[in-house]
Amino acid sequence: MLAGMRADLLRGHLDGLLLAVLADAPAHGYELGQRLAQRSGGELDVPEGSLYPALHRLERGGFVASAWRMDDGRRRRVYRLTRSGRRAVSASREEWRTFSSAVGRVLG
Amino acid sequence: MSPVTPIEAYLAELEAALQVRGRVRRRFVRECRDHLADAAAGRGGQAAVRAFGPPADVAAAFDAEVAARRGVDATAAAVLGVLATGGSTLALIHAAAPQAVAPAGWAITFFVAAQVAAVAAALALGQALVLRREPMSPPALRLLARRNALALVAAGLTMFAAGAALPGHGSAALLLAGPLLVCVALGAVLRARSPARRLDAAGPAAVRPPLSDLRRLVPIPVPDVGPGRLLLVTTCLAAAGAFLRDRGEHATIAGALLTAGIEAAAVVACFVVLGRPLGLWHHRAAERAPGRRAA
Repeated sequence: MLAGMRADLLRGHLDGLLLAVLADAPAHGYELGQRLAQRSGGELDVPEGSLYPALHRLERGGFVASAWRMDDGRRRRVYRLTRSGRRAVSASREEWRTFSSAVGRVLG
Repeated sequence: MSPVTPIEAYLAELEAALQVRGRVRRRFVRECRDHLADAAAGRGGQAAVRAFGPPADVAAAFDAEVAARRGVDATAAAVLGVLATGGSTLALIHAAAPQAVAPAGWAITFFVAAQVAAVAAALALGQALVLRREPMSPPALRLLARRNALALVAAGLTMFAAGAALPGHGSAALLLAGPLLVCVALGAVLRARSPARRLDAAGPAAVRPPLSDLRRLVPIPVPDVGPGRLLLVTTCLAAAGAFLRDRGEHATIAGALLTAGIEAAAVVACFVVLGRPLGLWHHRAAERAPGRRAA
């Protein structure tokens, strides 16, 4: 049950998590997956294929921009935060703080 | 012949499951290929494809995202098409013979179609603005396509009714601009609707109360009004507007009251006939059915 609940929670927060790890520096999809795993200590087990529909969605919303770049001698699609993406990261952090503290108060 | 690697087999399965075609598909497959190559270098091909997720799920998520993007783009095209048709219709009316009097049937068709086009376009625009940065479910996408298509068809009917009622001569460029844009927008709407239908053809129809989108778009409080009360308020406002417009054009009180009555009847009829396709309400039986929900 816990694993299912965690997957549901992740689905709802994947966009915010991606924006947060992208705030460090521009990156391609694989690197973003690595950052997510690293910063969560391996606790956030996102199917890596789900990163790309989410990145395309963030691009549709104007939160990220992307371009093909040469990286380690290979051409890759690199994503970077836009100004509205930076604002969304701050909003998403604030929202999570409020939500988690409210849930914390209820659960004890 | 070299054996098929786990990554090649995975990508073949992913490509077979993907519905979208064209540049966006090529970019997505290329990104997946790059990702899997990077992952395989660190942990091996089998582990890389396992961590990537089932190809059918990944393909469905990407198809839904492309359908959402096309739905938002098609809405922009549809709103432009409706506005351009409005401009062309005004040009047509302006070019009509000065003494021309519109037959009642065409006049009613004109006013009703114009209002349906405006309402459907406003509903689609509100929905697209709210969902432009969020995931969209296939039922919500189908609803968006229906609203867009209805707005465009009603805009076309408005212009046709004006042309049939008030024949005259006008600038061909002005008169054709609206219908041309409507055709282009209709193509975009059908293109956006197609993947949404393939993703969930038999799924439940979405219901999206109009004020719920407005509430998220404007910073002022918007009351939570049910479909019945909304119909009552809209009918009263439309009838009052029709009465005042007719009186402003020096009609008799009896004539203005007749116009207001026709307007009220048209609003109620449109709500009953078009309310479900526009996602404004649904049958009570459907409300009780499992899986039926607001998108």
